Parts: sequence; C-alpha cells; structure tokens
Amino acid sequence: MRRGNILAFMLAALLALSGCGAYPADPEGTLDRVRGGTLRVGASPNGDWVRIPAGSDTSPVRVEGIEANLVERFAQQLGAGVEWVVGTEQGLAEELKHGGLDLVIGGLDDKTPWVSHAGLTRPYAESKDQRGNLHKHVMLVPLGENAFLLELDKFLLEEKKQP
Amino acid sequence: MTGLSSGGALRFGHTELPAEQREALRKAVKLEWATMGFLAITTTLVFLVLGNSQAMKAAWIEDLLSFLPPLSFLLATRIIRKLPSEDHPYGYHRSTGVAHLVAAVALTAMGAYLLVESGLGLLKAEHPTIGGIELFGSTIWLGWLMMGVMLLTAAPPVFLGRAKMKLAKKLHDKVLYADADMNKADWMTAVAAVAGVAGIGLGLWWADYAAALVISASILHDGIRNTRAAVSALMDKRAMTYDDSEPHPLGRQLDAYLRGLPWTEDARSRIRDEGHVFHVESFVVPAGGSMPGLEQLEQAREACIAMDWKVQDMVIVPVSELPNEFLPGPTSGGER
Repeated sequence: MRRGNILAFMLAALLALSGCGAYPADPEGTLDRVRGGTLRVGASPNGDWVRIPAGSDTSPVRVEGIEANLVERFAQQLGAGVEWVVGTEQGLAEELKHGGLDLVIGGLDDKTPWVSHAGLTRPYAESKDQRGNLHKHVMLVPLGENAFLLELDKFLLEEKKQP
Repeated sequence: MTGLSSGGALRFGHTELPAEQREALRKAVKLEWATMGFLAITTTLVFLVLGNSQAMKAAWIEDLLSFLPPLSFLLATRIIRKLPSEDHPYGYHRSTGVAHLVAAVALTAMGAYLLVESGLGLLKAEHPTIGGIELFGSTIWLGWLMMGVMLLTAAPPVFLGRAKMKLAKKLHDKVLYADADMNKADWMTAVAAVAGVAGIGLGLWWADYAAALVISASILHDGIRNTRAAVSALMDKRAMTYDDSEPHPLGRQLDAYLRGLPWTEDARSRIRDEGHVFHVESFVVPAGGSMPGLEQLEQAREACIAMDWKVQDMVIVPVSELPNEFLPGPTSGGER
C-alpha cells in the first residue's frame, strides 16, 4: 500500500501543477518561441505538396505547394514569419532532431521512416498514387514538443473542415 | 464452462470435490471468464489511445499479460479433471503447476524487456510525442483520453482480485491466488500510467519513462515471485498454504492423528502439493514392533482421507523405525 500512496501523491501533485500554465507544455518551449517570432521550416520538394519555383534558389528561398501554403497560414495565425530551409528529407530530419528546425514538410505520409527523429501530426489529407495505394499526409515536428504539435493539429483540422 | 456447470460429481482427478469447493470452483471459473472479458475491452481501449507514451505501452503490455493467469487457470481446471491413467498414474494435477510456470516466465521476460526498453528511452532522452486527436469535431490533446481510459480501467480488477482471493483459499489454487494478487495491485499500474502522461503534459518528458520503469519493475517483480513459487511447487516443496506463507497445517493434523492411534508408536508424513490435492506418504512405527492388521491400516487411511478433501492419494507404510533419510528436519512434534 505504501507504493500506492506514493503514486497517488505524485498524481495529485501533477494534477495540481497542471492547473497553472499551458497544458500540454513543450519541454523546449517551441510554441512560445515561435509565437510572434520565426517559424523555421524545412522543405523537401515533392510533387504538388512542396515545389521550389525555378529561379528562386537565391536567398531568401521561395517555396510553393499545398503544404507550403498551409505552413504560411499557420505561421500567420501565430503572428510569425517563415524561414525556409530547402534540403533532402535526410538532412532536414537530422536538423529537426537536433533542434535546428521547428517543422518539416515534404509530402510525407504516416508511414514515414523518420519517426525516430520526429513526431508526426495527425493525417490532414489523403491521396492515391498510381498503384492505388492510399497515403495519409503528415508533417514532421520536433519530438515531444506537444503544445506546438497540438496547436498545429488543431490548425490542420480546421483547414480540413473548410477547404 | 459448460462442462463445469453441468452439475453432478465434480472431480479433480479421482478426488471428488465437496459442495463448498464445487461452488467455489464454479464461481472462480465465472470470475476468470469475467476477467478475460474485461481485459478484452481494456486492452482494445488502451490500444486505441496508446500513442507514443512508454508508460502507456508498459501498462498495455501488462494488460495483455494479465490474460495468461486466467487462461492457464481455465485450461488447467479442465485438464486436471482427467482421471489418472496407466501412463499418468498420479493424475494430471501438475498441469496447474505447469500453467503457473509458463505464465510466470512470460511475466518475467516481458518485465525485464520493458525495464530495459524504458531505461534506454530515459538514457537516450527520447521525448515522447503526443499530439491532438479529433473527437466529436474538435481537436483535443490525446493525453486526456489516455488518462481517462487508464482511470476507467483502474478500479474493476481490484474487485475481481478480492473476490478471486477468497476462492483461491477455498480451492487451494496457487494460480488463482497469483492472478488475484496481481489484479489487486493493478490499479497502481493504471495510476502510474496516468502520472506518466500527466507528466508529459507538464513538459516533463522523463515522467513518462519514470512511470514506465515503475510499471515494468512491478511486472518483473510479479514474474520473479511467481516463477519462484511455481518452480518450488514443481520441485516438490513441502505443502504450504495457498499463499505460501506457512506450512500447510494438514501435515501436522495427519501426523497427530496417526500418532494417536492405539496401535502406533510414532508416525510422520511427507506431503507433496500436486496443485489442488496432496499426495501423502505416511510412515508409521507400529507399537511393540508387531505388524498392524490390514483392517487397521485400511481404517487409518480412510480416516485420513476423510479429514480433508485434498487428501486422496495416500499411502501408509509400516516401518520398524522412521526413515530419517526420507524425513529430514526435527523428529518430534514438528510437521517437517
């Protein structure tokens, strides 16, 4: 029973603490930093989802496509500017894992192998490839930044409802 | 289940169960089916909200493992009803012990695996990621659902465990006892998982691993304890009470009765716990060194069997002096 009491106490303390401040919270404070600041987004070109228009390889980079538009609107909602970084999935995922980016897009689906490097948003769109396989599209966020992720999930769901 | 509720003589091998035990067995079978039904619901619910929490994963695996004791109990209660045969002259009682051992080893292995996995996660500082989930058209944090489900599943096993504990005593069933004991402690797993997820919500990513470590340690602890009990039962440890807390008093009673007979000078028994029933070998030293009559021996055996339903397989061996090599331990009055 003593073990039980300790657990019950831990739980009570945690619930009491959760009364104050944002819940869930980010261990690294991503959402707070981005709000009114800069959203650092990695973009990996992929079909209609992420396009780099010809002749825009000079800094600052311009990125277009379905996901790029979503990201621009999400940043706007947070009062943040977008800082684009174009790269390969591999390079961007590494960068995200080490805190150099806040978000990665690239027409990724929920079967992405980058789950060891990043957290996934909920699928916000679906598409079919030539083989008839269904793809549920997601974006990559830093691991464990749950307030930021929840904010993005909410935004994506709202966007899905009113296309 | 149908076989057990058909009434009539209910047997463990050729041991016919008295009314009280028959009733207890029927209830226990019902409770174990209820436990499995409950587990089927909770494992599904928890699976649906599993997410990326290590603590939730540990709690889920513990729920899955909780299927083993009821399954082995239900399986064993069927097998032990077989009558002894030429190939199995001692009957099938040991199937209970085998089932117990299999369940215990599974617990130990899974507990150790989860402990290592949670420890590695903590060392690697992999922050658990839990996002939103769409529920009735709005997006809420999945963590709330996790905590809700875990709290819902916390209480019922405690009641199941308490009910089973009483029956385990009546039936002298150690698998049922182990199962009841685990059920009674199950709410702590649920609370630990809730604490882990609540910690994630506060931005304390390590709380999840801490909770997972607590849960895996408790699984491992259950596993080791049960493995030890199952192994020592299969190793013919002397008969203990259903909770292994003390030597079973029946040994003392049998020896006292045999010693009290007018034709005996001394008597001692060694008892094996076969699962529910005991196999007893009693050595008696006849008074004055004269061989007792067949009738006297037969009567003594009948009286011992009548003493408790667990005694059925019993042999009485008249000897000129107690064979100490078969009966280690203190010689007078002790039940060892």
